[in-house]
Amino acid sequence: MFRRIWALAVKEFYHLRYDWWMPAFMLFGGALELILVGWATSRPMTNLPLMVLDEDQSPASRQVITSLENTGTFTLEALVFDETPIREAMVQGSIYAAVIIPPDFSEKMASANQVPILAVLLNGAESTPATAALRAVEGLAREMGQEIAVKRLGIDADEFAGFDFSVRTWYNESFSEAYYTTPAELALMLEFTVLLFAALAFSRERELGTLEQLLVMPLTSFEIIIGKSIPVVLVGFFDFSLMLSMVHFVFKVPIRGSLPLLLLLALGYLFVELAKGMAISVFSRSQHQAFLLVMILGFVDFMFTGYAAPVESMPKFLQGVAQFIPAQHWLAILRGIMLKGANLQVLWPNLLALLILGLVIGAVSLRYVRRALS
Amino acid sequence: MNETSNDRAIIAQGLTKKFGEFTAVNGIDFEVRRGEIFGFLGPNGSGKTTTIRMMLGLLKPTEGTVEVLGVPVLEHPERIRNRVGYMSQRFSLYNDLTVRQNLTFYGKVYGLANAELEERIQMALVMAGLQEHDHSKTRELSGGWRQRLALSAAILHRPELIFLDEPTAGVDPVSRRAFWDLLYDLIAEGVTVFVTTHYMDEAEHCHRLAFIQRGNIIARGSPRSIKESMMRGQVLEIAPSDAERAIKVLRTAQESGELALQGVELYGSLIHVTVEDVQASEAAIRKELGEANIDSGTITVVEPSLEDVFIASMR
Repeated sequence: MFRRIWALAVKEFYHLRYDWWMPAFMLFGGALELILVGWATSRPMTNLPLMVLDEDQSPASRQVITSLENTGTFTLEALVFDETPIREAMVQGSIYAAVIIPPDFSEKMASANQVPILAVLLNGAESTPATAALRAVEGLAREMGQEIAVKRLGIDADEFAGFDFSVRTWYNESFSEAYYTTPAELALMLEFTVLLFAALAFSRERELGTLEQLLVMPLTSFEIIIGKSIPVVLVGFFDFSLMLSMVHFVFKVPIRGSLPLLLLLALGYLFVELAKGMAISVFSRSQHQAFLLVMILGFVDFMFTGYAAPVESMPKFLQGVAQFIPAQHWLAILRGIMLKGANLQVLWPNLLALLILGLVIGAVSLRYVRRALS
Repeated sequence: MNETSNDRAIIAQGLTKKFGEFTAVNGIDFEVRRGEIFGFLGPNGSGKTTTIRMMLGLLKPTEGTVEVLGVPVLEHPERIRNRVGYMSQRFSLYNDLTVRQNLTFYGKVYGLANAELEERIQMALVMAGLQEHDHSKTRELSGGWRQRLALSAAILHRPELIFLDEPTAGVDPVSRRAFWDLLYDLIAEGVTVFVTTHYMDEAEHCHRLAFIQRGNIIARGSPRSIKESMMRGQVLEIAPSDAERAIKVLRTAQESGELALQGVELYGSLIHVTVEDVQASEAAIRKELGEANIDSGTITVVEPSLEDVFIASMR
């Protein structure tokens, strides 16, 4: 049996070598995308255009404006005198944020117990820069609040060590978005690579007419699937290791949990996507069809991994569906081990889900390989 | 039952395959004896490939049974895989692999190894005439070479029975002749050959045949017995000066009842007509063509070809 499986695997390697541009494209395309996404999401936001409406016109308000500029996040686009220019600029999209200092600002600052308010208008159409803007303003407000509190409490500013804020960002103190996005990219790249290769495995044979010959040979359905899987698994695992190193060394995303465990689970996830790819190829009539199905399923999974929006904010029904997506569990495992140092005790439900999904999909492919011929 | 089935390579009984409403194979019975070349003749879409698929265990029949080399294929298709070879209609070797890589793959899957594998690969290369080209990619070979290579791959593991589905389709006549010579060599070694074709001249090479049309076997037996039983009348070969016009004239005359012709067919620049009474018909034909200002040329009685028989039986 092993000799037959190996003979088939060798043949598949010949095909891979002949069509070498495909695995090369997947690897370099994936790496390139990873670099671009990681780079784009790890850069801090600077020079965001800001408009300020100063209704107070006091030394306090002017200090706020100077502080805003000093954060480095903003470039003061214009100092305006009513809301109209702000509205126009927002509509045009030429500013991301505007700060309105109300007329009683300095009064409230100086008082003993009133709360000074800054109004911040954000351009919600561009949520990423707008969020960065909000954070910068919040940071500034926190600092100012600290100063006021120190003054009001009568504490000598030099002696005060600073408040310990209760809001902390766990696991990602530097709030680098790259921590969030690059593991997701990594997971999706692995999925796409494996799915594509597996899906093309059978449909290429059917298209060429050689599948019939394979089924007439003394190869069992099981042997055929294993033989065809071996190159896919090797290439997929190699791609994953390469991109994991890239994510870790270039984007400094830590691997806080056990690396061997991560690699082992990666292999497991690989097999699940392999089974899915095989199922796709068994049911596709041509290579093009297989390719399109992979794209569609890939994008569906993309939605459900919480990459674009968190799964928890989806309707309950869709959240339930998300549990059937292997990529969802894999991403939880990946993030868990890398960012949170989680181990099997925490991750076993995800692992179990992957195992069950893998077995079910694998069983379906096995059963239909022969029937798919007619 | 087993003593008699030892000299039968294939026994099919009531073999039927329906795809929904469409019946591709309609309850056919036939037997193939060991060591013979058995031909399945029929136009495209008549059910030849479907029948082969059922015999190989690739397709489950809707009704009926088939026994190959004593094995009931429906229940145990895997038992015959090592003992039969298959050459499908589509080229079933891999274009992006070399000749040797293809043969090695086949050999290893069929359990050949080391010295024996190398020996069989050499045999295959010699048989296909590709000793110099074993490291060429298969896609570089032309039609005739590919067919011979596919055949040698199909027999690499020394099967007792081989299925060939339209093996010479699209191949030049010289290569076709060479291919059939190879088949005769195999027969001499005791291999049974089941071949489908729509080339009538190839059918003459078979020991026994079955004509299949639209899922039904409409004739069976040796080429001679088919000709004798099916042919009513004799075949006249006419070499007219203008074959295209002549055939129109003759057909019109046949339809109007003026000429008692069973069949009128064009063979290039010759016309074959099937008639009962040779002498009367010959005279009548000369007269008819003469009236249309066509010179009838020579009119001779010829041995009916299987094509004549086949077309006559289609009516």
